[in-house]
Amino acid sequence: MEEPEFFQLYVEGERVVDADVRLSYNHRGMEKRCETLTYDQIPLLLARICGICSASHPMACANALEDLCGIEAPPRAQYLRTIICELERIHSHLLWVGLAGHFIGYNTVFMWAWRYREPVLDLFERFTGNRNHYENFKLGGVRRDIPQEAIPEILQAVDDVEKPTLMLTRAVLDDPVLGVRLKGIGILSEDDARRYCVTGPTARGSNLPIDVRRDEPYAAYGWVDWNVVSQPQCDVFAKAVVRLLETLESIKIIRQCLQKMEPGEIDNEPRSIPEGEGIGHAEAPRGETFHYVRSDGTNYPLRYKARAPTFVNLPSFKASVIGAELADAMLIVAAMDPCYSCTERMAVVDRGRNLEGLLTTKDLLQLSHEKTARLLKHHGIRPPQWES
Amino acid sequence: MDREHLVRQIDNDLGAKLADLAKRGPKRVYLTVEPQHSLEVNRYLYERGGRLATATGVDCPDWIEVCYHYCFDALNVVVTVKARAYKPACELDAVARVFPGAAFIEREIQDLLGVKFIGHPDPRRLILADDWPEGVYPLRRDYCHETHTNTGRAISPDHGRARVLSALRRG
Repeated sequence: MEEPEFFQLYVEGERVVDADVRLSYNHRGMEKRCETLTYDQIPLLLARICGICSASHPMACANALEDLCGIEAPPRAQYLRTIICELERIHSHLLWVGLAGHFIGYNTVFMWAWRYREPVLDLFERFTGNRNHYENFKLGGVRRDIPQEAIPEILQAVDDVEKPTLMLTRAVLDDPVLGVRLKGIGILSEDDARRYCVTGPTARGSNLPIDVRRDEPYAAYGWVDWNVVSQPQCDVFAKAVVRLLETLESIKIIRQCLQKMEPGEIDNEPRSIPEGEGIGHAEAPRGETFHYVRSDGTNYPLRYKARAPTFVNLPSFKASVIGAELADAMLIVAAMDPCYSCTERMAVVDRGRNLEGLLTTKDLLQLSHEKTARLLKHHGIRPPQWES
Repeated sequence: MDREHLVRQIDNDLGAKLADLAKRGPKRVYLTVEPQHSLEVNRYLYERGGRLATATGVDCPDWIEVCYHYCFDALNVVVTVKARAYKPACELDAVARVFPGAAFIEREIQDLLGVKFIGHPDPRRLILADDWPEGVYPLRRDYCHETHTNTGRAISPDHGRARVLSALRRG
């Protein structure tokens, strides 16, 4: 798995004319490590791939292992898995909205979005004992149940999350500044989205309505009523819209799961692992996570492959950033919601003026903030005062 | 079009080029191909609407198996092409020539397992550090952590501990 990335942008004046990306400064060798772990230990390691998708990778892993063994988890476990995956999507998307606000110098959005994310993390704590790294997924089911009598209380907490999320969604979608700043930039055409094989909101914002939750229903997604959100505009704003509306769908899914869930078994562990291979995928907040496992019938896999969504979404940066303004470059990367801890800096080469140098995140933020301020002045808009 | 139709079509159009076509359950299809047919079979699946989710390289005794996983989202089926890159040359035609979505994963497999993808548009290193020695592949089964070399003899990453324990537990 990879974390920090290095982008090299070639510009002529303010226009980006070419881009290159280098990654893997922080390779952790998890696939190799998996070959030394038992099937019970693997989901625990895979949760550490990412601190935000820490339910998605174990979910895909459980799907892959269950495909290998030809078993299914009991219904209650499927509902519990769905609830955890959707709570994860809500907190991840709220985190993204906050960051996007910060990138364009709109820190009010940042503050509110992160504030509304907190109660979701509290819910996680009640569900699984942890705010992140839930450790609840295993081959054949889940590790912890929730008491049936706690459900009304949790439903109340879900309502409390929904109201501010709805308010924030409406405010962001109607905001003139965000509209002006995000519409029409970072276009990833439907054709390019297909050629680069992108997934998740990056694909759905480019008019490709693909979603593993609907296309290959796992957990309880086939048993509840919800919609796949996609947008035809292909720009950064479309991706923001997809994420915000998806958050509301997630709340819908969680509520139905809590209501439909019936008491019962939560684990259906197989006696042994057969020889063979298995494929499992799951829809993480950033797109599809894809796992492949090959077994020789022992307690340890011969090969374990885990592919995170950013690995396929990131190369599409080349298609969406060329032609953009340098001040938008950071937003365009952010629109993919790439999953890495620290994009340290970007290198900028101005071909026209023979300039070459490294810009830090701070410089790029400054450029982006200046552009927002310019647009505000040009359109005569004063940033609205937000209320709780 | 449904799943059965797709499988029949694949069998009809590519039958002669496939060493094996296996269905494992309704949602998984595995095709095995010799290296000379890999590019054509991959191109066929991409053009029929397959989305390359990723590829997995597996180190087998006599070849590196590169498994290209294509999701047919509308049909709810994953078709995997297992292309064999025979040792010692380990050569395969680069699928990245057909569409850029295959570029990163082929570079990764080239770094970690030493498969040479012929005609790759950008064969630079992706995963390994710039000062990593040439010709040493860390995901191969003969890679030794102490010496940082490929020994030519399969060793498990934990020197066989996992396999011995597993055998003991099974009796």
